[in-house]
Amino acid sequence: MAPLTGCDLFDRDDQPAPPPDPLRPMVDESLGLAAAHRASATAHPELADRLNAIAEAHTAHATELARVIGVALPSAPAAAPSTTPAADPAGALAALRALEKAGQRTATAACAAAPAERAALLGSIAAARATHQEALK
Amino acid sequence: MKQPSAAEALAGALSAEYAAIYAYGRIGVRLTGAARDAARQAEAAHRRRRDALVVQLSTSGGTVPPDRAGYALPFPVTDRASALRLAVEVEERTAAHWRAALASTTGADRDQALAALVEYAVRATRWRKTAGVTPPTVAFPGRPT
Repeated sequence: MAPLTGCDLFDRDDQPAPPPDPLRPMVDESLGLAAAHRASATAHPELADRLNAIAEAHTAHATELARVIGVALPSAPAAAPSTTPAADPAGALAALRALEKAGQRTATAACAAAPAERAALLGSIAAARATHQEALK
Repeated sequence: MKQPSAAEALAGALSAEYAAIYAYGRIGVRLTGAARDAARQAEAAHRRRRDALVVQLSTSGGTVPPDRAGYALPFPVTDRASALRLAVEVEERTAAHWRAALASTTGADRDQALAALVEYAVRATRWRKTAGVTPPTVAFPGRPT
């Protein structure tokens, strides 16, 4: 490490913040999935029991991911769900299944790349997103 | 807790597969129709993984744990309801062993462990749906509770 010099006073940009944790985007993704399920539950009350249970699982994932990477859990997803729920229940379920499928791919890739101590958590999240697709059928 | 080696984790998964195959023998006879077919398919999946693990552990010089003549079931299987309950339990338990193997493995071995965890978690969800259990999912499939 270079010794401290007087120049450090003006060279703070040379000390960049540590790179963000690679799992940080998955916290937001989990919160986004939870929000998408809640939005559809509101639009289709007959699906609410099913969808809110899945939303809770996504929130639990976000909480656990935030704990593992050492950040506070954001109180809300970074962005509101980009689409409004479909008007018909079948369409809403199909849209959620597609989101879960994309989410499963994210978690699968993260699990493959993860250090040992994170692999089991990411595996459970990938598996949970697969089971959600089944529950949304 | 000491991290098991990949061979130890896979041997644990193999023992779980033996027990799953035994359990499905008891489960299948209590089911009929589509549920019985699903049990047969599930048993076949566990047999395929057992066979693949025996080959993998033998060729890598690992210890192949022996199968046993019988396995203690967590509760008696006397009817359709208890058979479905055991089917959920079997899938969750085998999923837990493959989940445990994730940390000990990398590359293709980890991909294989994840595929098993996902497949068994999905099957546990299908059994819960068949049994009318709600919700049919758990937040962290395979995680010890």
